[in-house]
Amino acid sequence: MKQGGMLAMILAGGRGSRLHELTDKVAKPAVSYGGKYRIVDFPLSNCANSGIDIVGVLTQYESVLLNSYVAAGSRWGLDSDDSGVFVLTPREKADSGLDVYRGTADAISQNIDFIDQYNPEYLLILSGDHIYKMNYDKMLQAHREKGANATIAVRPVPIKEASRFGIMNTNEDGDIIEFEEKPAHPKSNLASMGIYIFTWKDLRKLLIQDMKDPDSAHDFGNNIIPTMLASNMKLIAYRFEGYWKDVGTIDSLWEANMDLLDKKNELDLSDPSWRIYSEDSSALPSYIGPEAEIDRIYVTQGTVIHGKVKNSVLSTGSVISAGACVTDSVLMPDSKVEEGATVTRAIIASGVKIGKGAVVGSADSENIILVSRNVKGVE
Amino acid sequence: MAAKAFGIVTSTPRRVNVYGLQEYRPAGAFTFAGKFRVIDFPVSNFSNSGIKNIQVYLNKHPKALTDHLGTGRSYNLNSKRDRLELFYCDHHKENDVYNTDVSDYMDNLSVLKSQPQEYVVIAPCYMVYKQDFNALLNDHIQSDADITMLYHRVNNAKDHYLNCRVLTMDQDQRILSLELNRGNRQNQCVFMDTYVMKKDLFISLVERASAYSSTYSLAQMISVITKTEEYEMRGVQHKGFFASIDDLKSFYESNMSILEVNRVKDLFSDDWWIHTRTTDSNPARIYEGADVKGCMIANGCHIEGKAENSIIGRAVEIGKGAVVRNSIILDHAVIGEGVVLDCQIVDKYASITKTRELIASPDKPGYVHRADIL
Repeated sequence: MKQGGMLAMILAGGRGSRLHELTDKVAKPAVSYGGKYRIVDFPLSNCANSGIDIVGVLTQYESVLLNSYVAAGSRWGLDSDDSGVFVLTPREKADSGLDVYRGTADAISQNIDFIDQYNPEYLLILSGDHIYKMNYDKMLQAHREKGANATIAVRPVPIKEASRFGIMNTNEDGDIIEFEEKPAHPKSNLASMGIYIFTWKDLRKLLIQDMKDPDSAHDFGNNIIPTMLASNMKLIAYRFEGYWKDVGTIDSLWEANMDLLDKKNELDLSDPSWRIYSEDSSALPSYIGPEAEIDRIYVTQGTVIHGKVKNSVLSTGSVISAGACVTDSVLMPDSKVEEGATVTRAIIASGVKIGKGAVVGSADSENIILVSRNVKGVE
Repeated sequence: MAAKAFGIVTSTPRRVNVYGLQEYRPAGAFTFAGKFRVIDFPVSNFSNSGIKNIQVYLNKHPKALTDHLGTGRSYNLNSKRDRLELFYCDHHKENDVYNTDVSDYMDNLSVLKSQPQEYVVIAPCYMVYKQDFNALLNDHIQSDADITMLYHRVNNAKDHYLNCRVLTMDQDQRILSLELNRGNRQNQCVFMDTYVMKKDLFISLVERASAYSSTYSLAQMISVITKTEEYEMRGVQHKGFFASIDDLKSFYESNMSILEVNRVKDLFSDDWWIHTRTTDSNPARIYEGADVKGCMIANGCHIEGKAENSIIGRAVEIGKGAVVRNSIILDHAVIGEGVVLDCQIVDKYASITKTRELIASPDKPGYVHRADIL
């Protein structure tokens, strides 16, 4: 890593239980999105595009797949001699037992030795479950220019929804004067995106203090940021405008997929100047059969379509047989919809087969249905 | 187990002449099935066979392939023990008559001599097929033949494979002759420009050909020795998908044939994957009102119009009301609103927005030059 550079840590710890069976076998950051991507491709590609060389991915849940996925740093161009992607799970150390990560801040604290190896000037903290494109280098510039101890990325949310978020109240200069977690009466509409830049030597001290505090929940939002505010450190808000989506639930994951179908979608994954890198699987181009009927789809290589598909996102290896009908749905990698089956408003999990003539989901359902087990055909 | 052979992918031979496309790239860089290049097939065959010391020869327009092949990473050839070397030879100068595989090899004779493997497997850059070269090598070693040559039996040689050579063999598959296909018979054994022999024999044949004539190719030398009967030469029949892309018509036909589902199964299988370089393009977007049937669509496309029985390369745009039929559209081409194409090959970065209609027939497809604006 270049001297004085910024090192990134992606908090990918949680199981993501609100994604139900999708995260039974893979950690949330490894969940598929947009046909060929996994959620973690976004922060990792953003890092690569922002010129960040070293990225740690913090996880403690089922991480074999995530581990092998992110360890191939070549996917994001993070595999030169002075760059890399590292999966950091809780480790047993000589002076302490094996502890799970007790909170977001603790996950960083337990890896101070890893960070120190690279002697960074700044530390970027990211979350592993957001879909967005962002240049972290611009955020770092703001952090440097204002001489901040910490910079927190914020985005404006509709004021009536503000009480669902961590809200930053700022003064005219954009300095954060107050942080309120899910306030009943929000004073501002600037929601924290869970993206922080810290000057490392400042954060390092705070983390060591925090580790010793038995009353702390070891959380950035609830402990570290309030401590910094209380000790009059300079915290600034960095305003981000652009597409950003938390994909923590089945409905939001579905919505984020559906957003890709809009012709003018703000995320624009075809922008050559800010590519989102992923695993490019060995697959044929998408094959659309002579009898297929397709309308408004987002489709990646390795898919085979013989049936009818509308308003849907199809991932690598998904197959839609003749007479099948898929509407307003997301097919994850290697899922199959057999002859005459109907899939509506659903996410079909990886490798799941919807048998002949089966019907899943309905057009007027309130929520999106997740199908994570094979559905038997109707004889 | 370390492979007993190293691999050679030949440069574009003189006989190969694909109108238009070849002005910009060597035969190995021709597109195939929307996202592959023809050279992906020999290189993947080698890599999948465990033959991971590979030399690729290039004569004209090396850029397209140096860029595409790189260090071989896309082909699983990136460990310290693997090697993918590119040899660019410009000895053909202004006169194509000197452009032979033998002159390529003579330029690199010391390199060839220094290869540690006992055997060499040679494969062409312009043919599409799947073959386990290691199995072919073992077959060769067991057969006691001096040279093993791969062939494909066809029943349409009168008007196809006219730039290829054909073999005749006796009942024991011993090769009796190697001649140019003169189109006088439908049933022929088309030679697939693929050889297995010992490295020392290969080098001696190269030297002999070079001494005989500055314009001699290895195939011509072999043709001579079929008559002298000095060596035991044996044909091995290849089965499965086979295409020789040596003119515009064969380029068109072989690509289009991949739209037949059974042909695809023949060529692509999970246990013998054909590797290619990733471009990290996003999935294809097919918008409201688009109509796509019987097509192969590569990633990165934007389709608003109609596409039928066509191969659409990466990041192609097809505008509203446009109709693309029986065509092959190469990467980044733009087909503007309302434009109608039938039986066209549209080269990369071409933009057809001002011409309303380009119609040809399957036996004489049209060609639109690279980056042309029509």
